[in-house]
Amino acid sequence: MNILLLLVPISLILLGIAIGAFVWAVRRGQFDDLDTPAIDILRDDPLPTPRVDAEEGHDAD
Amino acid sequence: MDAALPLRKTQAAELGSCNHCGEALASDAIREGDRAFCCNGCAAASTWIREAALGDYYQLRTSPAGRVQADAADFGAWDCEIVLAEHSRTVPGGREITVLTDAMRCAACAWLIDRALRRQAGVLDAGANAVTGRIVVAWDPQRVALSTLMQRLAALGYRPWLATGEAREQAQRRERRRWLLRLGVAGLGAIQAMMFAEALYLDTAQQMPVATRDFFRWITFLVSTPVVFYAGWPFIEGMLRELRGRRLGMDTLIAGSTLLAYFASLVETIRGGTHVWYDAAVMFVLLLLVARMFEQRARGIASAQIDALARARPALALRERDDGSVEQVPVGEIDVGDVLRVAAGEAVPADGMLLDHAASFDEALITGESTPVRRETGEPALAGSVCREASARLRVVRTGNDTRLSQLTRLVEQAQSARPQLARAAERVAGGFVVALLLCAVATFAWWHVNEPARALEVTLALLVVSCPCALSLAIPTALTTAHGALARIGVLGVREDALSTLARVDRVLLDKTGTLSNGRPELDSFATFEGMDTPTALSIAAALERGSAHPLAQAFAHVEADRVAHRVQAVAGSGVEGDVEGVRWRLGRADFAATRADDGALWLGDGARAFARITVRETMRDGAREAISALRDAGVSIELCSGDAAEAVASFARQVGIDAFLARQSPEQKLARVREAQSRGEVVAMVGDGLNDAPVLAGADVSLAMAEGAALAQRAADFVVTSPSLLRVPQAIVLARRTQRIVRQNLAWALGYNVLAIPLAATGHVTPWIAALGMAGSSLLVTLNALRLGRRERNERRGA
Repeated sequence: MNILLLLVPISLILLGIAIGAFVWAVRRGQFDDLDTPAIDILRDDPLPTPRVDAEEGHDAD
Repeated sequence: MDAALPLRKTQAAELGSCNHCGEALASDAIREGDRAFCCNGCAAASTWIREAALGDYYQLRTSPAGRVQADAADFGAWDCEIVLAEHSRTVPGGREITVLTDAMRCAACAWLIDRALRRQAGVLDAGANAVTGRIVVAWDPQRVALSTLMQRLAALGYRPWLATGEAREQAQRRERRRWLLRLGVAGLGAIQAMMFAEALYLDTAQQMPVATRDFFRWITFLVSTPVVFYAGWPFIEGMLRELRGRRLGMDTLIAGSTLLAYFASLVETIRGGTHVWYDAAVMFVLLLLVARMFEQRARGIASAQIDALARARPALALRERDDGSVEQVPVGEIDVGDVLRVAAGEAVPADGMLLDHAASFDEALITGESTPVRRETGEPALAGSVCREASARLRVVRTGNDTRLSQLTRLVEQAQSARPQLARAAERVAGGFVVALLLCAVATFAWWHVNEPARALEVTLALLVVSCPCALSLAIPTALTTAHGALARIGVLGVREDALSTLARVDRVLLDKTGTLSNGRPELDSFATFEGMDTPTALSIAAALERGSAHPLAQAFAHVEADRVAHRVQAVAGSGVEGDVEGVRWRLGRADFAATRADDGALWLGDGARAFARITVRETMRDGAREAISALRDAGVSIELCSGDAAEAVASFARQVGIDAFLARQSPEQKLARVREAQSRGEVVAMVGDGLNDAPVLAGADVSLAMAEGAALAQRAADFVVTSPSLLRVPQAIVLARRTQRIVRQNLAWALGYNVLAIPLAATGHVTPWIAALGMAGSSLLVTLNALRLGRRERNERRGA
């Protein structure tokens, strides 16, 4: 059972890392807005160009 | 997010709808290629969005945008030092400000705002949150002025308003993050503690060496300590507060049982006893924290949305200098005697006396009267009323706390403090239970100590654990949380936590008319023609005359297709309009103006001498108003209509929706007296309203619901805010509240019944510690599952509907 003396501290360290990561994420405001980012990945931001012909075709749908 | 209701679908199909905001198009719509817009504002916004290659917005959005006001407001005053100092803070490289907008409808709006602002030179960072209606912008004041950015927002249709101040915004954000941290620590810690506890549980045959067992116990102790004391701190803090106030409440119960399980385990760990209950303590904290977090989130969203509308009084005013030029000043700096200018569509900042020329004001917020009131020169204009049609100049008579608006606000506060305080039955039960339990434990310990000292501690611990009031303290919060969740899904946000139990006992509902039963928009009621005139012609002439008029009655004709055009249209104040249609001079308005007859309240079409048509206009009923009334009646609630409007209007409206009892021309004070009278008869009164004039009544009633489109103050005074446009949500909420009450009662009965059975068994030493732990967990689980039924059944009903 001596392996426990190694495994349990490892699990505690992992727990510490997990909590640390969570604290970091909360402090950075990662959880402030859970709705808007969902839509961000749907479309890449095209480069701002004056010509937007490619977009016109989608209007019907 | 709710999709916009297809209110005017039929009309929209005929005339087409605005490409940007989805409003029905009038004949003067602006067309650009295959796209059509209702106004210049929408057209400009749409053009900008497409040119900035943000056209994806139109595919991403789930509800149409708000109509863009073309006459963008002047945000110049926002650049001044006073505003910046109070509302923004310094960040590296510039300043940061939080502004509110009520025009964000879905996540795509937030996406658009993000992109649009980041494109502006000088913007360091921008973030919009559609749920709370807040936009955070960090910018470099050296490179771009705040007013430019705000102008861009307004031009896109998201008119910004100043938030309540940067300090409060920051505090709210910090508070939200602290709760999240607590939840995270509780979740991660509890899972880990459960893993170690698992190892101990699996050792059923007691084969584990004592050293290993104790090692595991100490590790579990280590992991559960932060969960109990950091994550569970809100409960411990609440307990200390309650103890200082010399009462026993829910927090005492929750913190008490957590600490009990924790310290009992610690004692057993030190003593080398047979069982520890760390896992129970941490799971308990986690579950209750989740429940409380959901509750707070729902309430946070509700109050954030209310904040977003908090602008009954504008923050800035236009003051005339001595030389006649105009400056923008904060409302607080206005003095009695100042001359102010109020633009059309803006709210009046202080009570004043009208100068120069007559103007009409929408006083719906203050008096509840739905049609604008005409004020002549020298007559008063009230703070909070909205200037209609033309701009006005006024001399300030009363400012700040003396205005009628502030008086109403104070009335709300008084009514709120005098609200009949309901003793919370569950807390009383819980408090009594804790006392009884402690007495029981002391008695048991004393008895065993005398008769069999070796088992005294073990038996007492088992007694405390088996009777742990977890189930009792879970019984109410879980049911309330599920009910609030179910309510939020149908569009009713609970603002105050104990309102649900009052809602369940309602036996009289008072309804306001304008804005509550009606949606404030007029529609054509009856149409009679004379002198050989046929209805379509008369209708088309009337529509042509009213087209382009800003008078509220004109909205009634907005859906009539006008194939005629009126020329030289002239509005005659207080009487009606006149204009040339196909060479004939027509008049539309009061009978004495249009057809030289006695005024009968109806709208007449004539040529100044003869009458050709008599038109009556009524208010449009809110969606589901009639169904809601009959549903309320089915629920056994008596219904009363209380309105500030004139008697005939109220009577005919009451007939339409099917209400027998109604009162007209009621001032807020009278309405409140009416509520008090019913309450003195022992009735539980619910008030449904939307206007500022309803706010004192909303605060004074036992329980109150405010419509989301209404005045901010009304919502602040209310217990629930109805965000759905349908009035049917009111009876639905009452039914749900009653079901919640039933579930709570079942849960309490179970928790108490279980304890009545378990305590004698434990006191007599028949319960081993592990049976105690199992019984405690089992009864908590049962109570939680029972509470979850509230949410599930609601979903099934909705599917069936």
